Amino acid sequence: MRYDSITEAIGNTPLVRIDPAVHGLGRIDLYAKLELLNPFGSVKDRAAWNMARPHLTAAASATAEGAGQVVELSSGNTAKALAVLAGMHGLTFKSVTNRMRIPEIKDLLLLLGAEIEELPGQSECLDPTATDDPLTLFHRALSEPDSTLLHTDQYFNPRNTEAHFTGTGPEIVKDLDGRAPDWFIACVGTAGSSTGVARALREHDPAVRVVGLVAAKSDFIPGIRTIDEAHEVGLFDPGTYDTIESVSADEAIEGMLTLNRRCGILAGPTGGAAYFGAVRQLRALDENLTERQSAVFIVCDRVESYLSYVRHRRPDLFGRPRRRNSPADLSDAEIRTAPAITVADAQAWIGTGEPLVVDLRSPYAYAALHIDGSVNIVDELFEELLHGGLPFSRNRPVLLACPVGEKSARYAALLTRMGHPEVRSLTGGIIAWRDAGAPLVRD
Amino acid sequence: MGGKPLYLEPRLESRLRSLLDSPDLLHTLSGALGSPLNLVVPDQLADNLEQFRSVYGKHHLSGQVFFAHKANRSSALLRRLAATDAGVDVASLGELQHALGAGFTPDRITATGPKNPEFLWLAARTSVTVSLDTRGELDQLAALVRKHALPRVRILLRLSGFEASGVRVLSRRSRFGTPVGELDPLLEAVERHADVVDPVGVAYHLDTTSLAEKATALEGCLRVLEECRSRGLRPRAVDIGGGFGVNYLTDGGQWERYTTELTEAVLGIRPPLTYGGHGYGLRSEAGTLRGTLGLYPAHRPVAGAHYLDELLSHPAASLGGRPLAAQLLEHLYDLQTEPGRALLDQCGLTLTKVLEVRDQETGGPSAVRLAAKADDVALEEHGVLMDPVVVPRSPARAATEPVAVHLFGSRCLESDLITRRTVFLPRRPEPGDLLAFANTAGYCMDFHATRAQHQPVARKIAVWQEGDTWRWCLDDQYWPTTPVGGAQ
Repeated sequence: MRYDSITEAIGNTPLVRIDPAVHGLGRIDLYAKLELLNPFGSVKDRAAWNMARPHLTAAASATAEGAGQVVELSSGNTAKALAVLAGMHGLTFKSVTNRMRIPEIKDLLLLLGAEIEELPGQSECLDPTATDDPLTLFHRALSEPDSTLLHTDQYFNPRNTEAHFTGTGPEIVKDLDGRAPDWFIACVGTAGSSTGVARALREHDPAVRVVGLVAAKSDFIPGIRTIDEAHEVGLFDPGTYDTIESVSADEAIEGMLTLNRRCGILAGPTGGAAYFGAVRQLRALDENLTERQSAVFIVCDRVESYLSYVRHRRPDLFGRPRRRNSPADLSDAEIRTAPAITVADAQAWIGTGEPLVVDLRSPYAYAALHIDGSVNIVDELFEELLHGGLPFSRNRPVLLACPVGEKSARYAALLTRMGHPEVRSLTGGIIAWRDAGAPLVRD
Repeated sequence: MGGKPLYLEPRLESRLRSLLDSPDLLHTLSGALGSPLNLVVPDQLADNLEQFRSVYGKHHLSGQVFFAHKANRSSALLRRLAATDAGVDVASLGELQHALGAGFTPDRITATGPKNPEFLWLAARTSVTVSLDTRGELDQLAALVRKHALPRVRILLRLSGFEASGVRVLSRRSRFGTPVGELDPLLEAVERHADVVDPVGVAYHLDTTSLAEKATALEGCLRVLEECRSRGLRPRAVDIGGGFGVNYLTDGGQWERYTTELTEAVLGIRPPLTYGGHGYGLRSEAGTLRGTLGLYPAHRPVAGAHYLDELLSHPAASLGGRPLAAQLLEHLYDLQTEPGRALLDQCGLTLTKVLEVRDQETGGPSAVRLAAKADDVALEEHGVLMDPVVVPRSPARAATEPVAVHLFGSRCLESDLITRRTVFLPRRPEPGDLLAFANTAGYCMDFHATRAQHQPVARKIAVWQEGDTWRWCLDDQYWPTTPVGGAQ
C-alpha cells in the first residue's frame, strides 16, 4: 500500500473476531474494531484529523508570519494526534488539561513538540465567588479578537462525531458483509466515537443496541469519563445509549490482560474496559439466544503508554526475580548489629586517612554540603553495584554515611555479609555529624 | 419526599461520637449557655498533632508543626497546644499576643501574613520568627530593628510563582510571597541586612489540593536554598504551609451519589436538591453541564497527616526523582508545616436549637428555623456539605420517617440559610431539639460569625473526659491544669 501522506493511513482499521474459547460466548460472535492500528496509535486520529483539517488547510494557505497554534483540552490521544498533525502543517500545538495523569503520555507529548498547560488543583480555602478559574480564562483567551488560536473543541465539535459516522461506522457494516451488528459497545470519552458509530449503525438497522461504558465514579480509567463528567460533554446525549454501565479500573485492566495475553491485541485499559463491559453485558443474554448474534467493541489505543498506570494498580504483574546481595534480604537483627561508629570516633578515624568515606545521598545534596574527602555513590547506584559483588577491595576500610544512619546501617550489614572485614555506618548520619559541629564542605 | 434520602453523614471519631451520645449534657449546656453554642475538644488537638509527628518520624524528618491560629480563636485549644511541643503560626498582632499569653515561647512562634508596624515590632521584640512576603517588608523590618535597637530577627522568605520544568502549571496567583523570578534582588537585600536579620529558611503556601503543584513548589524551594548556600547563607528550613485538608464525611458512597444527583438536578433530570435551584457553581446549557462544582471535596480518603505523607513520598522530578522527603533529609533541612483545618479535625462541634418546623403546603421540604445565623455555622461558606445530627429533647419520642428540610437562620434576611441544600434527616426534628453540626472547629466556628442585628455570637466552651464523664468549662477558663484539678 502506497500513500502520499501519513494522514491517508488514518481509518480502515481491521475488524478482528475474538476467539470464542477466550470469551466463552456460545451464540454471539464478538468482534474488536482495532482503532489502535491508526497511524498515531488511537481512535482519536480520525476525529483529530477531521476536526483539524479545515483549520490546517486554511492556516497553510495563509501567508507565513507564525500561522497560529492549535489548542485543545485533551489529556491523551487527541492531543497526541493533534500535536503530530499540527507539526506536519507547520503549526504548534498546546494542550490545556487537568486530567493528564499518565506520565508516559505527558512525556510523549513533550517529545512531539506539544506545549502542555496544566490546570491547578481545587482550592483548599474555597472562594465560592471566584470568577478567575483557569478554564474560564482559557475560553476568554480563545475569543479575544486577535487570537490566532485554533480550538478544535473535541467535546462539542460535530466534526468529531462525523468522523465516526462517515468512517468507523460504515467500515464495521462493510466488514460484516453489509450487516450492522446486533450489539455495539463503546467507552464514553468525548462521546464522539460511540455517538457517530451508533448513528451510522442505526441508520443501517434501527434494532442495533448500544451499550455505553463509563468509569466507576471513584475510579480513574484513562480515556473514559465517569457519568458526572460525561454530562459535561456537549456531544454526550444519554439517548444514544440503550444502557449505560460502569466499569472499574480493575475490570478494565483484567479485560486488557485478556486481550494482550490471549488475543494478541495489545490494547490499553480503555480497550480492556470495552472488552470486559461487552462480555459482561452479553454473557447473561447468550444462554437464551436461539439464533446467532454479533457484537462489536472498539479497541481505542495501545498498552505501551500505560505501563506506569498498570504498575501502580497491579504491581503483582511486574514481579521480578530476586537478585543476590539485596538489602531487602537482610534480617532486622543483621541491621541492628551492623558495625557502626559515632561521630567523634569517625572524625578520629578519618583523621588517620584510612577509611574511604562513601556518602549515599543524592548528588544534589552531596554537592550542597558533605564530609571533606568523601565519595558520593547514591544509594540506588550503590545497591546496583553490590548486586555484582564488592565494589572495593577488602583491605580498604569503608565508612558509610547517609542522612540519619538508617540506610548506611543496612549497607554496612550487607557489606559485612558479603565478607568485607572493616565497614562502619556513621551513627546518626550526616545530620548527627552537623549537629555535633563537625565540618561540612562544598567543593 | 421524592426518592431515597440523600444523606451526607458526618465522620465522627470517638470523642465527638461520645458527645453526641450524651443528649442530656448537650441540652443542659445549650439550655444554660444559649444557642448557638460551640464546643471545643482540646485533647483531640494533641492527638492530631501526634499523627503529624508520626509522619515526620516515618520520614526521619525533624522540624516543627505550627498550628495555624487563624482557624479558630479558642483559648482552650491554644493553651492545650502550648502544653505540647508544637508551634503556632500567628497572622495578626492579636494572635501573637494570644499565643505569647497562652504559653508559647518565641522559638515556637512564626509570624506570617499581612503585618502592621505594631505586629512587626512585637514579633521582633520577642524574637519570634517572621515570615516575610516581600522585599519591601524586609526593608521595613530591618529599619524597625535598627531604629529600636532590637535583637537580630530570624526570618523566613516566603516565595511564590514556582515554575515546573516541561509542563506549565496554571496555578492560581497568590498575593503573598516574592516571585521566584525576583529572587536575586531579595537575596541581595537579605545580605545587605545581614546584621539585623538571620534567614533561617524559605516558605511557600499554595491554595490548592493538588500534590503535583505542591511538589513543584517544594522542589523550587530546594533550588532556592541551594542558591542561598552558594551565597554563603546558612538556611536550614523549608516551611510548606498548610492545606492538608479534612475528610468530613463518613461514607464516600454517599458523597458520590449526592454529587451525581446534584448534577442531574442541575440538568433537570431529577427534582431540585437545593433551595431555589441553586447549582453550587454548576448550570445547564442546552442539556450540557457547564461551570465548576464550587464545593469542598468533603469526602477525602487522603487528608491531614496522610496527605502530608503522600506529599513527602512524591518524587521530585527535577532533582533525580527521589521522594521529596529524601531530598529534604539528604539536604539536612528541617520541614515546617502550618496545618490549621487538619489539626482541628474532630476538635469541636456547634449546637443549634430548633425554633420552628413548618411543613410546606405544596409538599416540598419542611422549613426548619434554627436559633443561629448562617455565619455561626460557616460550613456552607467553605463549601462543606455535611448533615447535622438531630439531638432530640426527649429521647423517648418515637422515631419518625426520614424528612427533607431546608435549614433557615434567625436573621431577618431572605438569604439567611444555614445551607442552600435540601438536607435529609433520619427523623423529623421538633422545636426544642438540637441540631449538632460536627467538626466545625476548623474555620467554621468563629471565623465568619458576626453580631448582625444585635444577635449574639456563639459562646464557646471546652470539654474533656475524665473517666467516662464529660467535664466542661468556659473556653477562656481552660488551662492545661484545669482537667487535672477538675475545676468547673
